[in-house]
Amino acid sequence: MSELFAPLPAFETAFPISDGLTIEERSGIGLATVMIRKDQSAALVKRVRSLYGINLPASPSRAGTDDLAFIGIGPGVWLAAGSSSSGFTSMLANDLEGLASVSDQSSGYAVLRLSGPKARTLLQKGVPIDLHPSVFRPEKAAVTVIAHIGCMLWQTDEGAFEVAVFRSMAGSFHHWLAASAAI
Amino acid sequence: MSPQPNRRATGGLIDRSVSLNFSFDGKQYGGFAGDTLASALVANGVTLVGRSFKYHRPRGFLTAGSEEPNGLVELRTGARREPNTKATTVELYNGLAAMSQNRWPSLAFDIQSINNWFSPLLGAGFYYKTFMWPGFLWEKLYEPLIRRSAGLGRLSMESDPDSYEKVHAFCDVLVIGGGAAGLMAALAAGRSGARVILCDEDFRFGGRLLSERTEIDGTPCAEWAANVVAELDGLPNVTLLPSTTVFGVYDGGTYGAIEKVSDHLETPGPGQPRQRLWKIVAKRSVLAAGAIERPIVFGGNDTPGVMLASAVRTYVNRYAANPGKRAVVFTSSDDGWRTIADLAAAGIEIAAVVDPRLQVAPSLGDIAKRAHAPVFLGARLREANGGHALASLSIIGADNRERQVRADLLAVANGSNPNIGLTNHYGHRPVWNEEISAFVADVLLPGMSVAGAAAGRFALADILRTGADAGAKAAEDTGFSATMPPVPATTADPVSATPLWHVDKSRGKAFVDFQNDVTAKDVALAAQEGFRAIEHLKRYTTLGMATDQGKTSSVTGLAIMAELTGRSIPVTGVTIARPPHVPVAIGAFAGIHTGPHFKPTRLTSGHRWAEENGASFVEAGQWLRPQWFSRPGEMDWLETVNREVLAVRNGVGICDVSTLGKIDIQGPDAGILLDRVYINMFSTLAVGRARYGMMLREDGFAMDDGTTARFSETRYVMSTTTANAAKAMSHLEFARQVLWPELDVQTVSITEQWAQYAVAGPNARKLLQNLFGLAIDLSPEAFPYMGVAEFEFGGTTVRLFRLSFSGELAYEVAVPAHYGDALIRRLMAAGAEFGVTPYGTEALSVMRIEKGHVAGNELNGQTTAGDLGFGRMMSKKKDFIGRTLAARPGLVDPERPVFVGFKPVDPSRRLRAGAHFLGLGKAATTANDEGYMTSVAYSPNLGHWIGLGLIKHGPERLGERVRAYDPIRNGDVEVEICSPVFVDPEGARLQHV
Repeated sequence: MSELFAPLPAFETAFPISDGLTIEERSGIGLATVMIRKDQSAALVKRVRSLYGINLPASPSRAGTDDLAFIGIGPGVWLAAGSSSSGFTSMLANDLEGLASVSDQSSGYAVLRLSGPKARTLLQKGVPIDLHPSVFRPEKAAVTVIAHIGCMLWQTDEGAFEVAVFRSMAGSFHHWLAASAAI
Repeated sequence: MSPQPNRRATGGLIDRSVSLNFSFDGKQYGGFAGDTLASALVANGVTLVGRSFKYHRPRGFLTAGSEEPNGLVELRTGARREPNTKATTVELYNGLAAMSQNRWPSLAFDIQSINNWFSPLLGAGFYYKTFMWPGFLWEKLYEPLIRRSAGLGRLSMESDPDSYEKVHAFCDVLVIGGGAAGLMAALAAGRSGARVILCDEDFRFGGRLLSERTEIDGTPCAEWAANVVAELDGLPNVTLLPSTTVFGVYDGGTYGAIEKVSDHLETPGPGQPRQRLWKIVAKRSVLAAGAIERPIVFGGNDTPGVMLASAVRTYVNRYAANPGKRAVVFTSSDDGWRTIADLAAAGIEIAAVVDPRLQVAPSLGDIAKRAHAPVFLGARLREANGGHALASLSIIGADNRERQVRADLLAVANGSNPNIGLTNHYGHRPVWNEEISAFVADVLLPGMSVAGAAAGRFALADILRTGADAGAKAAEDTGFSATMPPVPATTADPVSATPLWHVDKSRGKAFVDFQNDVTAKDVALAAQEGFRAIEHLKRYTTLGMATDQGKTSSVTGLAIMAELTGRSIPVTGVTIARPPHVPVAIGAFAGIHTGPHFKPTRLTSGHRWAEENGASFVEAGQWLRPQWFSRPGEMDWLETVNREVLAVRNGVGICDVSTLGKIDIQGPDAGILLDRVYINMFSTLAVGRARYGMMLREDGFAMDDGTTARFSETRYVMSTTTANAAKAMSHLEFARQVLWPELDVQTVSITEQWAQYAVAGPNARKLLQNLFGLAIDLSPEAFPYMGVAEFEFGGTTVRLFRLSFSGELAYEVAVPAHYGDALIRRLMAAGAEFGVTPYGTEALSVMRIEKGHVAGNELNGQTTAGDLGFGRMMSKKKDFIGRTLAARPGLVDPERPVFVGFKPVDPSRRLRAGAHFLGLGKAATTANDEGYMTSVAYSPNLGHWIGLGLIKHGPERLGERVRAYDPIRNGDVEVEICSPVFVDPEGARLQHV
C-alpha cells in the first residue's frame, strides 16, 4: 500500500472570469519559511547568492523567478517559493544548513496569481495598502490583510500579483474574490 | 405617460428623449433622465410629499439636496424597501416606486394630524413630562403609542437582498465636493500630476453651477462645469467619483465615503453591489462642500410650497420644473434676489419680494424692476396659509401694515451656512464669523483645507479662486509643482446678508427643525425652563437630532436661543456634527461580512470528507470541526456520541485534530527556549520522543498545555490547543524576540501545513500497520508510547506521534495538508476491517473527561498549574515564565479549589457544568461556595454522568459528598468527590499490545 497520495488544490470552486483579469491557483509549488540563524546574516546572503544567484531582499520585496524566489516577509524571515514542492524544503534545508531554519509551508498557504490590467484594481479593493504602480512596484511584497484574512502579497517581475493566504481560509478568500470581481 | 404639468418645454439639464415612469403612493407619473425623484414630483405638480414626525403636518420639499428635512419617502418595495430616503437625492429610474411616510390612511387625509390640535401637550420635553404617572403604563401603553404615532418610515423586516462592497483607495489630494471650488481644486491638483480623487454626492458634477444661470468665461456655468469635468476625466491621475458622499474623517488622513453604485437602478446588475464603501487615505484634502441655505422661522413656514430660494432655482433652472405659478421671494440676502430673475425667466409671476432690510443694493432693485415684482423693504412675512398647499402669505410692511398676498410658491433666502460638518469630526467646534453671519471652520484637520462657499466665500469669483488656490497648494504639499489655473472671468455677484432668524409676532406654528417638528416656541420653552446651554437645548427639544443632523435648523435654533437669552451667538455656543455626515446603510459597513461570512471560516483539509460522512460541525474559533457523525436512525446527538466513544474504546476511531496549533521550533537553543516557556524540562527530551508540557502566563496562571516532540537536536514541534494556537505563537515570539534575543532559536507556525488525525483504540496499531506496511515499524518496542517519527510514504513526508488524549492505544498521523483528504480516505480504508469509526469533538471530549485530562474548561485563565494537579511538574531546577508570580500567596493558598472528579450519588441524575459546590445541608451563599464543576459528560462506559471540577482540598476529600448546585437550570444534585480518572486509572489501555 504505497501508491502515491493524491494532493488536492486548496480552492474547490472556479474563479470569477472577467476581461482583463486572470486568476489561477499556483498549486503544486514549493513554499518554505526561511529564518535566519543568529549572526548568520552575511553568510546566508552569500550562500543564497552563490547557490541560486539571488540577492536575498533586505526589505519587503521579492527576488528571483518562478523557479525560485525569496520574498521578504519580516526581519530575517523570507518565504521561499519554488516551482515544485517535491524535495523543495529538503533542498533548501540542506543548502542553508546552519545558516537558516527552514520550515515546509508548501501546504500551508494557498497561492493565487492574479494577472491582467484589472488585477491591481481588484486587489486594491481589499488591500489596505497603496498598490499604485508608483508605490507598489514590481517585486514589492507586503504582509497585509484582505477582508479580515491575513495574507502575503507580492508582485512578480512581470507585474502579476501573487497572494498567499492560509490554506484553511481559501473558501472565505474565494468568497471575497467572487464578491469583488465585478469591476 | 401622463403629462408633466409643471415641466417647461425647454431648458434644464434633463434628457427629454429618455422618459421614465415612476409611482408615488401608487399613482403613476412620468419624468426624464437627469431628474431626481423630487424634481420629477415637482414637475408633476405634486407639492404634498410627507407628514411630519410629531404633528403629522403636511409637508412639501424645502430643499433640493441632501439637507432635505421633509421629503422623506419609502423607496422600493418588499425586502428592498428603504425608509427615510430623501427624494431630493434619489436619481430617478424607470419603474421607481415610492411611498409617503408617517400617514394613515392617506397622505392627504392623515388621522393623526389631529396631533396638531393637541400640540399644547406635545411641546418640548413632553416625553418627560406627560407620561410620568403611573409608571407601569410606560412600557405597556405610552411608549408603544408614541412609537406608533411618531417616527418616520417602516423597515421591511426582511434581510437586505443587495450586496455591498468595500474598496480602499489612496491619493495625494482628495477633493470633497465637485462644485465650482472643487472643480477648480481638482483641476489645479490634477494638472500637476498629483493623484486626485474628486467626490460629489450628486450624480452630476457641478454643484450650484448646475442650478444657476450665471456665466463663467462667457459660457453658461453648467456648460463650463461640464468642460472641466471632461478635462478631469481625461487625466489618468484623476479619479472621478460621482454619487459619492464623504461622510467621515478618521485618523491619519483616512476618509469614509459611500458611493451609490446601483441606487439609480431598479435592482443592481448581476454581480454589482448596491453601494460601495470607500476608505480613502489622502495626503491632503480640500473640503469644497459648499453651503446650505437657511430658512426663516415664521408662522406656517412648513406649508408645502415654502422652499429655500436656492432649491427653487435648482428646480426651475436645472430641472425645468416650476414649483409654482405665482411666487413670493422672502429674502434677507442679496443672493435671494437672483431668484427673481430666474422665476421671471421661467414664466412664474412674482407677487412680491419681501426683504427685512430697509435698504438693498440698487442692482437688486433693478432685477425686481425688470421682473415687474413689487418690492417690500423693511418687511417680513408673518404667516403662510394654505394647509396642503400654499395659498397666501401675510406681509407686514415697514409701515407695520399687514397685507395678504396670494401665492403658491415662496422662495426663502436667509444667508447660508458653510457645509463644514466634516471639519468637526476630530471634535473641533466651528467659530462664528460676524461678517458673513455664519459658522466657519476654525481649527482645520491635519492635511485638510477648506475652499469656496464651505470657507465662507460666497462670491463666485472668490469660490473659483480659493478652489484653485487650495488645489494647487495641496498638490505642492505632496511634492508636485502646480501652476494655478487661470481663474475664469465671472460677473460680480453681491452676497451680503443680514439674517432674520425669527419673525416676531408670527401667527401659527413657526418651525425651526422641520424633521423633528421643533418650533420657535419649543426653543422659547427650553430657554424658560433653563435648558439654555446649546447641548441642553438640543437634547430637550431634539433640535438637530433628526436624520439630517440639523443641517437646515441647528444654527437657526441657537440664534433664536441667543436672541431669547440676550447673548451673542458665539457666547451661546454651537453643537458639533459627528460622522456620518449623511446616514449610511449598516449593510455598507458590513460589506460581505454578513451571516455565516461574518468572520472568515477555516476549514481543515478533511472538511469535504467529513461533510460527505454526515458530520455536524461546531465552531472552534474560526475553525469548523466535526462535532459528531450521525448515522441514520440515531435519535439524538447523545446516542451518536455514545456510539463513537464505545467504538473507540472497543475498536478504533479517527478524529481530525488538524486544528491544534503546531509550532516549528528550530535552532541550537530551541531546548533552552522551551525550558523557559514550559514549567517542565524539555532540553533533556530525547530525539524521537514527545513530552506533555504546560506553560504559564507571566502572571503565574496556567496558559496552555500540549505535547512537544523532538525531531532532531535542533528541531522541536510544539502542539497547542486549538483555542490558544495564536496566543501561544505570539507568546513564543515575544519570548525569543524580546525577552531573550540572544538565543539562537527560530519559531514559525506550521498549523496550516499539516493535516493531522488521531487514530485511537485497541486496533489503532493494526490499522496503521495496514496502511504503512513496512514503511515504519510500529511494534511497542520500536515505537513506544510518546514516540515520534518522520518518514517518507506515498510520495510525501509523514509525521507519526504516539500520543493519547483518549487513554487508548493511540497515534496521531500528520501529512502536508494537500494530502489531508487523501490521508483520511486511506485511513478509513485501512480500518474498514476493524469497523473504524470517525468521531468528533464531542466524543473526544467525553473520553478526555473519562480520563481526567484538562482542557479549555479547566485552562480558563483563573487556574494555576497547582490547581490543576500539575504543581509537582513545576521544575525547581530552572526558571520559566510565570514561576515567580505563580508563587504569590494568593496562588499557593491551600484554600484554592483543586481539580478532582465528581459522580452523582444517584446514577440517574444529570450533572451540569457551571454548578457550584456546597457542603451538604449548607445554604446557597457565596460564603459557602467551595468551587465549581468545569466539565461534564455522559460516560457510556460507566453508564452515568461524570464531572470534573475544582473544589477546596479536593484530593483530600475523595469519597465525601457535596451538593452540585445550579440555580440557573434548577439543578441541585448530590455528588461524590472522586479521582478525576474514571476509566483505566492504571493506564493499561495505553500500552495495548
